[in-house]
Amino acid sequence: MKVVSRDGLAAWLDSLAQQKTLVAPRDVDGVLLYRPVASSAEIVWDYTRPVLSIKEAFFPATERLLVIEKNQQRVELQETLPEGEQVIVGVRPCDARGVKALDTLFIETEPVDTYYARRRANTTLVGLACKEMGETCFCTSVGGAPDDPRDVDVMLAEVEGGYAVQAVTEKGEALLAGLALQDVPGEPPKPVLNEPVPLPETEAWPPHFDDQFWEDMAERCLSCRICAYVCPTCRCFDVRDEALPAHNGHNRYERIRCWDSCTGEVYRRIAGGHNPRADKGQRLRNRFFCKFYYYPQQVGSAACTGCGRCIDSCPVNIDITEVMHHLAEVSR
Amino acid sequence: MTSLNGSNGMAPYLGKLVVVKDMAPEIKLFGVELLNGGNARFADYKPGQFAFVSAFGAGEAPFGIASSPQRGEVLEFAVQRLGSVTTELHEMGEGDTVGVRGPLGNHFPMDAFKGKDLVVLGGGIGGAPLRPVLQTVLDNRADYGHLTILWAARHPSLLIFRDEYESWRSAPDTELHLTVDEPDAGWEHDVGLSTTLLEKVAPSPKDAIAITCGPPVMIYYADKTFQALGFTPEQSYVTLEARMHCGIGKCGRCNLGDKLICMDGPVFSMAEVGNLMESFL
Repeated sequence: MKVVSRDGLAAWLDSLAQQKTLVAPRDVDGVLLYRPVASSAEIVWDYTRPVLSIKEAFFPATERLLVIEKNQQRVELQETLPEGEQVIVGVRPCDARGVKALDTLFIETEPVDTYYARRRANTTLVGLACKEMGETCFCTSVGGAPDDPRDVDVMLAEVEGGYAVQAVTEKGEALLAGLALQDVPGEPPKPVLNEPVPLPETEAWPPHFDDQFWEDMAERCLSCRICAYVCPTCRCFDVRDEALPAHNGHNRYERIRCWDSCTGEVYRRIAGGHNPRADKGQRLRNRFFCKFYYYPQQVGSAACTGCGRCIDSCPVNIDITEVMHHLAEVSR
Repeated sequence: MTSLNGSNGMAPYLGKLVVVKDMAPEIKLFGVELLNGGNARFADYKPGQFAFVSAFGAGEAPFGIASSPQRGEVLEFAVQRLGSVTTELHEMGEGDTVGVRGPLGNHFPMDAFKGKDLVVLGGGIGGAPLRPVLQTVLDNRADYGHLTILWAARHPSLLIFRDEYESWRSAPDTELHLTVDEPDAGWEHDVGLSTTLLEKVAPSPKDAIAITCGPPVMIYYADKTFQALGFTPEQSYVTLEARMHCGIGKCGRCNLGDKLICMDGPVFSMAEVGNLMESFL
């Protein structure tokens, strides 16, 4: 394996931070988030996973799509496409898997989403293997692994004296140019794994659409939508116009999109007030069917990476692995 | 920055309102002339397709296109005032600028309908996306069989496209039936639900196609009535709606099970609707 010392890695990251936006796990008032850092000293290296996934680096919680300037009957539009290159360091393999799942929708399924594709092209992902799985992690049950390098450009794994470095893609190789690496015999230590959760086959889902299970489970759901907020693959969005300060006597607005979630009460309400998904059970069912059936049918990739964030954040302990256990059991 | 030329699916074309006409209380017809190169994109849109209309500052919302390109370049939308975008549109007048994104979604297979009798059932503002179907039949009258139009509303004043009824009635091989829930003093037509009218008119299912648009509950019962008349689910078409936010398969808001109304619809045969995992109702 090729190894870099801690100091060597820090110096390399510091020089990267001079050239591009460097994003890494950072302590923000006691909350660990992937955020831009000015230098490597701000990076937190010992963590299970940040509270939010790296989804927001490609698909921000609120994103400006257009600026609208209105002067009486005259309207001018300005597209606000994201600019600038970013390197994200310390990406957990589950989060990288999540980006891959978003790619299948936003880039690989026509029409290409201009904003997402632009950010994606301008980003290099530097992964960091997990030494062990967190308490609620189940990536190995949905096709991932704590040291899975498939979806990043460069993979790091902590070893004695520093980090093992693996260039996964050409983009990663280019990023590594200039980093002094030492050949060291051996491999990074294997991560400690959790007991896997059974993954129901895709075909197992449709026959259980009408099960009482969904309603029972949703009895305690608060429709708070935190599960979607923390999810690395939830991508539903709302679009709206908001006022900006007027300029030269012209009214100005921004058109934004912001994260939305199918467990929200009004999500499927149509003009005139009819809501075909008025019950919590219908909405919670939609969430789980989207993860394991709808999204795979629509774009070809599963929409759960096993990161476990929704389990950690649910105020009423709704647990996605409980759903997987149930489906596996009833479809046996 | 790329230009606003349609490569960005979320960027609208600009359009000038050239027609703003009251059709009914809270319902206006808007005619839009596209300004910045959108005409090419809208040169060949089809009956049943929809577009997002922006009232800049309030937002954008999807509407079934109520016109047909055979009748000129002006796009028409029938808009009922319900939410913030439609309220802002209702505040606007001729000469004002709106945005238009589209055309989006699939369409009624008008070519496959050729030679067949058509039964078109529109409820309230749901008649709007059916108008291009009527226009296509009337403009190519010899291509289609008998045309039965069933037009329903809660009240006579809420019937849309009233100034066109004479031209529909006088077209060859075409009949128009009107019904309202609550008649007024001068009302000379049917009273009751659209399904009651449908039972009374009782169109034959032989070589015929049924096309329905209206509130979900009306679609549900109209389908039952069409079935009772002998129409198979394959002969029956509907156009469905959702409060979508992108129209291009990304925002997730319009899913019906694993299908998306914006990409797989909005036009579905009742056979397809029957195979959906989730009900539109």
